[in-house]
Amino acid sequence: MKKYIVLIGLMLGLAMVLGGCTTGLMASSWPGMTADVNNVYIAGGSYVYAVNLQTGAQVWRFPDKASAANPFFATPVLTSDGQLIVGGFDKKLYSLNPKTGQSTWQFTDARDRWIGGALAVDGMIYAPNADYKLYALNMQGQLQWSFEADQAIWGTPVSDGVNVYFGTLGRNVYAVNARTGQQAWVQKVDGAVLGLPVLGADQTLYVGTYGGTVYAMNTTNGGTRWSSAASSWIWSGPILDGSDLYFGDAKGSLYAHPLTNTGKPWNQQLNGAIVGSPVVTADNIVVGTEAGNVYFMDRTGQNARPIAVNGKIYSTPIAAGDLVLVAPTAGDAILVALDQSGTIKWSFIPPK
Amino acid sequence: MWETIIVNPFTNALLMIYKLIGGNFGVAIILFTILIRLITHPLMVSQIKGSSKMQEMQGSKEWQDIQKKYKGDKEKLAQEQMKFYKEIGYNPLSSCLPSLIQIPIIFGLYQSIMRALAPSPMQLLTLTRTVYPIFKIADLVPLNSKFLWMNLGQPERVYMFSVAIPLLAVIVAITTYVQSKVTMPASTNPNDQGAMMGKMMVLYMPLLLGYFALTFASGLSVYFITSNLLGIGQYAWVGKVNWSALIPGKKPVQALSVRKK
Repeated sequence: MKKYIVLIGLMLGLAMVLGGCTTGLMASSWPGMTADVNNVYIAGGSYVYAVNLQTGAQVWRFPDKASAANPFFATPVLTSDGQLIVGGFDKKLYSLNPKTGQSTWQFTDARDRWIGGALAVDGMIYAPNADYKLYALNMQGQLQWSFEADQAIWGTPVSDGVNVYFGTLGRNVYAVNARTGQQAWVQKVDGAVLGLPVLGADQTLYVGTYGGTVYAMNTTNGGTRWSSAASSWIWSGPILDGSDLYFGDAKGSLYAHPLTNTGKPWNQQLNGAIVGSPVVTADNIVVGTEAGNVYFMDRTGQNARPIAVNGKIYSTPIAAGDLVLVAPTAGDAILVALDQSGTIKWSFIPPK
Repeated sequence: MWETIIVNPFTNALLMIYKLIGGNFGVAIILFTILIRLITHPLMVSQIKGSSKMQEMQGSKEWQDIQKKYKGDKEKLAQEQMKFYKEIGYNPLSSCLPSLIQIPIIFGLYQSIMRALAPSPMQLLTLTRTVYPIFKIADLVPLNSKFLWMNLGQPERVYMFSVAIPLLAVIVAITTYVQSKVTMPASTNPNDQGAMMGKMMVLYMPLLLGYFALTFASGLSVYFITSNLLGIGQYAWVGKVNWSALIPGKKPVQALSVRKK
């Protein structure tokens, strides 16, 4: 009889362990964040938080009752009419009031998780979902059209007003008409596109891939203008500052790729994989690494100063006023604010 | 340790099979399950023999005499039972060990399936660090998670008239019930506690595994169904499937004396 009791006990234990794996004991992504002049909004696991930029104090959190099985990690986006749009692993896309954290509407048609942040532009919300679809909503959350791609979409799309551009895990980059949702073109690349593309001048779209290549693509037809190989995979997309393109790779190399003939390319070897994109501030290029360092360096890649934070940095840092905000994973704080010299001004540890 | 000896090899084995068969993860899970069943087949045979022997033993006069004789002395009863096991050459662990071995396999397989399918960024990042150098990870990602009507990385539902039906969970529960029922050794002893517990397991296991199938990624359900069918096949192979157990009201037949002369 004892053996059956042991067996039943073990099966129940297994149920709990399996449940734990899927219900948040293990983080399934890393935080996404955005900021306005007052607050930073962070999708940081069980809740979306609004945190005061000056003090680091919590302003509100959403929802009232968290579900560990349905965390929030997609980068929130602020719209021009004062909404905060954020998707959850519960397959719902929420519109929140940025002042109060109250939900005004929910979009519930998606069949999978919201991993990538939405794009809010020209009175529309373009929201990518892991169910392979890009959903176009009006500002009231009503579906205008949806476009089904070949695979999950994890990166925020970009738009030039004519098309919406995004990459998929299926190694394709799509251009879809922003008004109708009709496919304009699709272009194969050498690896999954996990991050967001960036639009440059001269109708060029820059995309980084898991295959370790940055592509410069013609936005009119998807043709490759040039490509550049990194030493390993590129997770988040490149960023564009003026005439320089910056991106990092899994081996910790940060690359600067000038788009003009006068610029000089460089790469800087850092400690730890670079998963998030860098951010360019008035004085510095700032990037986080998996080893838990935030690097501040000048625009030539020199004078790199590592600032250690508790945790791993996978999220893209953001600049807000004089502050640089980083969102560590697996540390105590989910948000750390640093000034331009790299001094930590405050840390936000979510209340229990 | 767990990662190194279970999850990483399982994940890479799944990826290897996936690559060899041209990119069907559902078939890879089925083939992997067959592989696991082949590896654990000797243990399964040992379990079958052990269970049969135990049933025979508990139905024997000698066993029942021991139960009666030492009814009031649990310590002495345990000693005499162990002595009896020894005499007839029975290892009490032989019938439950294979079942216990299944547990880390289920857990490891579930983790491996979720890791290989990498349905979220952290899982993909972990997969990147898990795959052996023989694979070029950028060529493998994303794995084709579609199999028949399922997304193997998500719990399965079939939509009929906008109603979500957990078809796979039902199939898991049915196959688990059938497997438990036809492979449960027959017992005629009304005081056989093992048989009583076995009957409880026949009821609870389908519910438990059905709940798993309802809640967790459907890749795990593919494993459960394949494993259940193979389990029945293994019992049939050694001639121990009791199909009559599926017929309501059918009485089992029990052997009697087992003591070695």
